[in-house]
Amino acid sequence: MPRRNKIYWFEGVTEKGVKSLLNDENSKFTWLRSQRNRRVLVVLMSLGLALIASGSYWTSFKKQLNLDSEMEIIVFSIVAIFVLFSVVGGYSFLRISVRGLADAPDELLDERQIQIRNTSFRYAYLVMGYLVLFLMLLVIAGPRLELLGTDGPDASFLLISVMFIFASLPSMILAWREKDI
Amino acid sequence: MSRQPEEPIFNRIEELRTEKGLSRQQLADAVGVHYQTVGYLERGEYNPSLSLALKIAQKLGAEVSELFSLTPFRKAKSNA
Repeated sequence: MPRRNKIYWFEGVTEKGVKSLLNDENSKFTWLRSQRNRRVLVVLMSLGLALIASGSYWTSFKKQLNLDSEMEIIVFSIVAIFVLFSVVGGYSFLRISVRGLADAPDELLDERQIQIRNTSFRYAYLVMGYLVLFLMLLVIAGPRLELLGTDGPDASFLLISVMFIFASLPSMILAWREKDI
Repeated sequence: MSRQPEEPIFNRIEELRTEKGLSRQQLADAVGVHYQTVGYLERGEYNPSLSLALKIAQKLGAEVSELFSLTPFRKAKSNA
């Protein structure tokens, strides 16, 4: 009887999924594994996330751009869809590029992989600390944001971006630091 | 107390593995690690836990002290 594919609910991965990434079963993505390509992906992801966050300040930008209302909707929609899909795609590529190490449970990794995974989480925790500090300063000193506001600056873009950052930071750090993965 | 920078540990894993005719993948499967971890070990870029060192030594039919050392190993005599 074939063994059941174990689901790791807390990590959000399956045994088969992790093993397939670890064992080069999907050779379509081996080009992603070079450190240079991984670093390019990290830079693109960071830019995409910064662009999503900037959506919260769209009301301030559009005043400076002097767009009419129809043009404003077109520009905003195209940019928003493009950025959102790029980041979702980038997130998937990022996970593949680091063999899903950041999300894999201990029992599927060896001791070196666990060690580099844990180090990446330590750095991610530090970065998140600075990010939360920056967000606090932004809330105190920056423009007033409303959550799901209808006519004012909307904080939801910033929140989506921060959630993506929190989810992808360990993978981004692994992608940036590791020579071979 | 601050942690001292890690002392290099020299090893003969690659030498003994090739002597035994094993590929990195075969050794990795035998000791339960990823094949890249074997590469890291051979290059001295990762120091194994005691249990992994013992498993590798057992698989390669050597003592841990023959496999790992704090001083560089002397080059094996060439057959020529």
